[in-house]
Amino acid sequence: MPNILVFAETRGSALRKVAFEAISAARALVDANGGGQVHALCAVPSGGAALAGQLGQHGADVVVTVEHPGFANFAREAVAATLAARAQGGGYRAVLLGFSAQGRDLAPRVAAKLDAPIATDVTEIRIAVDAVVVKHPVYANKVIATLQLDGPLVVLSTRPGSFAAVEAPRTATVESAAPASDPSGEKVVVKEMQEGGKGKIDLGEAPVIVAGGRGLKAPENFKLVEDLAAAFGNAAVGATRAVTDEGWRPHSDQIGQTGRQVSPQLYVAVGISGAIQHLAGMRSSKTIVAINKDKEAPIFKVADYGIVGDVMEVVPALTQAVREAKAHS
Amino acid sequence: MTTSNVVFLLIVTAGAGFFALNVQRLVRYLRIGLAENRTNEPGVRVKNVLSIGIAQSKIFRDHIAGPMHAAIFWGFIVLTAGTVEILIQGVFSDFSYDAILPEPVYRFYAFSQDGFALLVLGAIGFALYRRLVLHPRRLEGDKLEHTDALIILSLIGGLMLTLLLTNAYAYLAGSTLVGPEKFASRLTAQMLGRSVTSPGYWAGVFWWGHVVILLIFLNYLPYSKHLHVITSLINVFFSNTSGPGQKGVMRPMDLEADVEQFGASDVDHLTWKNLLDGYSCTECGRCTAACPANITGKPLSPRKIVINTRQRLMEKAPLATGDRMEFIHPRLVHGEGGATGAETASQVLGERLLDNYITEEELWACTSCRACVQECPVSIDQLDIINQMRRYLVLSESRFPEEIQPAFESLERNGSPWAFSPADRGRWAEGMDIPTMAEAMERGQRPDILFWVGCMGSFDDRAKKITVAFARILKACGINFAILGQEEHCHGDPARRMGNEYLYQMLAKDTIGTLDRYDVKTIVTSCPHCFHQIGNEFPDFGGNYEVIHHSTFIERLLEQNLVPLQGEDGKRLTVAYHDSCYLGRYNDIYDAPRATLKRALPVVDIVEPKRSRDRGLCCGAGGGRMWMEERQGKRINVERTEELLATGADTIAVACPFCMTMISDGVKAAESDVPVLDIAEVVAGQLVS
Amino acid sequence: MKIAVCLKRTPDSESRFRIAANGAAIDETGLKFDIDDFASYAVEVALQINEKQGPGETVAFAVGPDSVQETLRKAMSMGVDRAIQLKTDATTYDGLAIAKALAAELKAGGFDLILFGKHAFDTSGGVAGTATAELLGVACVTAASKLEIANGKGTARRELEGVAEIDEFSLPAVVTIDEGIARPRYPSLKGIMAAKKKPLETKPAQLGQPRVTVKKMELPPDRPPGRIIGDGVAAVPELVRLLRTEAKVL
Ligand code: SF4
Ligand code: SF4
Repeated sequence: MPNILVFAETRGSALRKVAFEAISAARALVDANGGGQVHALCAVPSGGAALAGQLGQHGADVVVTVEHPGFANFAREAVAATLAARAQGGGYRAVLLGFSAQGRDLAPRVAAKLDAPIATDVTEIRIAVDAVVVKHPVYANKVIATLQLDGPLVVLSTRPGSFAAVEAPRTATVESAAPASDPSGEKVVVKEMQEGGKGKIDLGEAPVIVAGGRGLKAPENFKLVEDLAAAFGNAAVGATRAVTDEGWRPHSDQIGQTGRQVSPQLYVAVGISGAIQHLAGMRSSKTIVAINKDKEAPIFKVADYGIVGDVMEVVPALTQAVREAKAHS
Repeated sequence: MTTSNVVFLLIVTAGAGFFALNVQRLVRYLRIGLAENRTNEPGVRVKNVLSIGIAQSKIFRDHIAGPMHAAIFWGFIVLTAGTVEILIQGVFSDFSYDAILPEPVYRFYAFSQDGFALLVLGAIGFALYRRLVLHPRRLEGDKLEHTDALIILSLIGGLMLTLLLTNAYAYLAGSTLVGPEKFASRLTAQMLGRSVTSPGYWAGVFWWGHVVILLIFLNYLPYSKHLHVITSLINVFFSNTSGPGQKGVMRPMDLEADVEQFGASDVDHLTWKNLLDGYSCTECGRCTAACPANITGKPLSPRKIVINTRQRLMEKAPLATGDRMEFIHPRLVHGEGGATGAETASQVLGERLLDNYITEEELWACTSCRACVQECPVSIDQLDIINQMRRYLVLSESRFPEEIQPAFESLERNGSPWAFSPADRGRWAEGMDIPTMAEAMERGQRPDILFWVGCMGSFDDRAKKITVAFARILKACGINFAILGQEEHCHGDPARRMGNEYLYQMLAKDTIGTLDRYDVKTIVTSCPHCFHQIGNEFPDFGGNYEVIHHSTFIERLLEQNLVPLQGEDGKRLTVAYHDSCYLGRYNDIYDAPRATLKRALPVVDIVEPKRSRDRGLCCGAGGGRMWMEERQGKRINVERTEELLATGADTIAVACPFCMTMISDGVKAAESDVPVLDIAEVVAGQLVS
Repeated sequence: MKIAVCLKRTPDSESRFRIAANGAAIDETGLKFDIDDFASYAVEVALQINEKQGPGETVAFAVGPDSVQETLRKAMSMGVDRAIQLKTDATTYDGLAIAKALAAELKAGGFDLILFGKHAFDTSGGVAGTATAELLGVACVTAASKLEIANGKGTARRELEGVAEIDEFSLPAVVTIDEGIARPRYPSLKGIMAAKKKPLETKPAQLGQPRVTVKKMELPPDRPPGRIIGDGVAAVPELVRLLRTEAKVL
């Protein structure tokens, strides 16, 4: 089995979780196919060698460090060129990246440079004799496609969270390489990075949304919803039309047919009965939790997990529990 | 012929000529509107003129202003006979009906003249008192409007006074024509006393005064809102608001037509009938006083819509028709709302009815409840103007509240105004053993009846309970029915009401295709909007079915004792029933839901809210408002729910899934726990289990 | 400016999918297709840029069978000036092949800006746009949630995990569009009528032999039915456990 080249994604000079996931995926693949090597390539402003330990810990045999001050920001063209140059060097069956913001951008570039077939956002990978077969969720996860990629070298990106980062410790050999193109001569230049997180998270982007309805009884009780959102850390606060009509929350917070249509990973509906207008805006959320005192409320029909009870009691308890859970993770 | 006869003839000819010129001008203005045939079914039209026009049936809806106006109106008709006599006298000084009428008829005529003259004077006095002292809210117009009204009232008053005075002096001068039947004239003479000098002279003066006032009055009309004196009967004749045809049916548009624009943004894209409406508006404000949007503080006023239409017509038409009489361009025509009117010709041409006079916000505030149309004493169709303008906004400019775009898109893609999968449409029926048309056909069965469920009834959780309740009743009565299941999709009514005729026609024609494929004859539905659309508007596209609303259908089943009901359970209910606009004002179904409640419930008191039946207040969901934000004023559903709760009822009954949503929300907002039930649920609750 | 928008025709996202008899495609009966959501954002962005910048041309491209003509017409009803269909027999999952076909056509087009949706709802790959840029050798920003063009330069904002990146780039360029950038306009009937008369050209697509093929399509296991896990505060620990172990969102 030939080797697999993995892009070890970093931000600043720190490795990201997707890097370990991709390396573990590659490790498992070569091991299942009669052995081969996992090569990890990282492009950093400096201190690449320091990352080798961590990468080796997860199963990288060789760590290729490419250092240049221009890598302080995302130098997409240079990174893609360097990855492609390394892959072209021969001996690789696949180039693996994480399907992260960087990986989404890099993988097609690398594939185009190598003229290699590509599959992105894959959740399973199998290497057969003459083809690579992957699973890739399509139609917004409503269908799973099995794709076959024909060619001696393929480019794949792995869906974050689909491949567990597991340790397979070894001591990685460190090689260093020069960038294949000048990172300071990019056609696209990063002008600014704006730290998010602290400010308000937009409803459309938030992975978690906590939304409140009329069941909260009074505007001041929205504090409960805000506290729960704060406990999650990455949550935005939404509201039903009844609530925004009452003026308890601004109209921009409204979720539903006449407001925003959202599909976060987790949607917590607090004191929301689940009118058609509201459901139309949040039904496609991945996981839905509902807390409502009326067990007949239609929201329970769409909720994965429901608690029947008084929001004034349940929500503070949940906030506390989430805070504890977060503290342990 | 004496000189005075000649002078008279000259004056009358001048006056009548000027009037004729104005009439011809006004008719020419109407022609800038689009053509539309309004002469079908003359029988119905004449009937409307007799009942609404002559018998003043709509005027009497207001118990105070009604009799007053009717007195003036009937007085006018009666006195017109006298006017004719006076005019003939101008040429043949000695003429009198006396000479040509049999004695008793003449005496009755003579009596009626004086009687009505007094009645009119009394009514004028009351009208002045109302305007100057009482100031009712619906008569709040601008200054011009007030002056106009005062001028007209004075002119009419003047006519009556000169009439009486002419007769009185003639009597004093010894005329034999003022018999005892002209009691008021004689009374006036008595008050004047016998001592007046040269009564014959004064009789002549007042006779001339009467003639001159008459001509002034006639020629003043075209410059005033009192043009309605001339146009209202004509308007009633051409109106479709009380038939012929079903009420509230929107006019189909020819979307293939090679026209420069779709819908109306200015007066020349309205029909001549819309423009005649403008001439006919009496500015009584009854429409606006009944408008749910206006009542709750939205910027919409149906009266303003009509007045603005006239204002704009009077401004644009002279230019559009190359009117050389522009010097008499009726500056007197006043407006309503912010727009002051254009000053120069280029400004006039640069402006239009939409935006400059009527704003988008006004148009989108309408719930299409038809209360304005119902109230208008001269059969004006305010809603038609609003609909034409909405069509322009959507079809020509794609301008609408942004929150309705998802509804449009979802209608296109999912066949429902909400983004639900068509595959889930029939889910409510799972486990109920209800066949779809396709299944029934496959088994070689022919269902008698199609149950059209509708989008609310299929997807909204609360409404699904109504659907299930009605289906249970149908099954309990052994009705052979089926549903369309996945093959049902929206008939397009929401799109049509929101001005998107293109999307509507796509959906409607598709629906007709499905219904015809199964050779459907009879349809029952629990949604008044589906009921109205399929029953009344589909015929324009070749879809003819008997459509029955569930309130009527259940009532018939109850009447035939087909529904297996439980007996007395000792509960006494007080129910307030909320009238749905599309059931009531659009289809005159007021009694069936009430009768259903009475028949199904052993002991029930039906109480009526302040506004009910054809005066019922809209729940706020119609006209596509269901999919729009209500950003201004008080919420309509809250206003309505408060009225319903004020009856003290322990249950509120509705017969429409949209009303259900709005009133339930209203009850929640009022923090009340009065249950809101559909009539089908009430009946299903009484089924023997 | 001369702007190209590359479109895709995809089924509505609310659709319920079934697998076709061959097991390697979805059953398309009853599905409603429309311009892909992300592509419609791209169209809107293109139209807005040209409206702001004065005279220009917006051209829509789509690779696919004749059914994509409907989608191209839709783009034209929104305001796109003309359209080109690169004809294939079926949709392919080989994003690079699509990019090659597009690049071959776009190369000589003289476009200042080429827009794509971030990815399409059906294949969900997000390959074609960026790969096209690479093949053309022009600048490329993926997943822009804001885009401004001024003085021959572009500025874009990208929402990354927890941070926002502001990029500057030279033209010509390829930009793939993320959601939230602009609400696509609703075509007026006037626009729909006008679109019927706008030019739509059809050319064969230079796809080559696809190297990514669908072997199988399947539906994911059913989402476990919703359940009420308990009453009141007592149910909270169980909820947190489920969120952590089953839903994996904590
Ligand atoms: S239809 Fe109803 S809401 Fe619309 S203007 Fe007339 S009264 Fe007002
Ligand atoms: S439209 Fe009719 S109801 Fe309204 S003000 Fe005019 S005459 Fe009165």
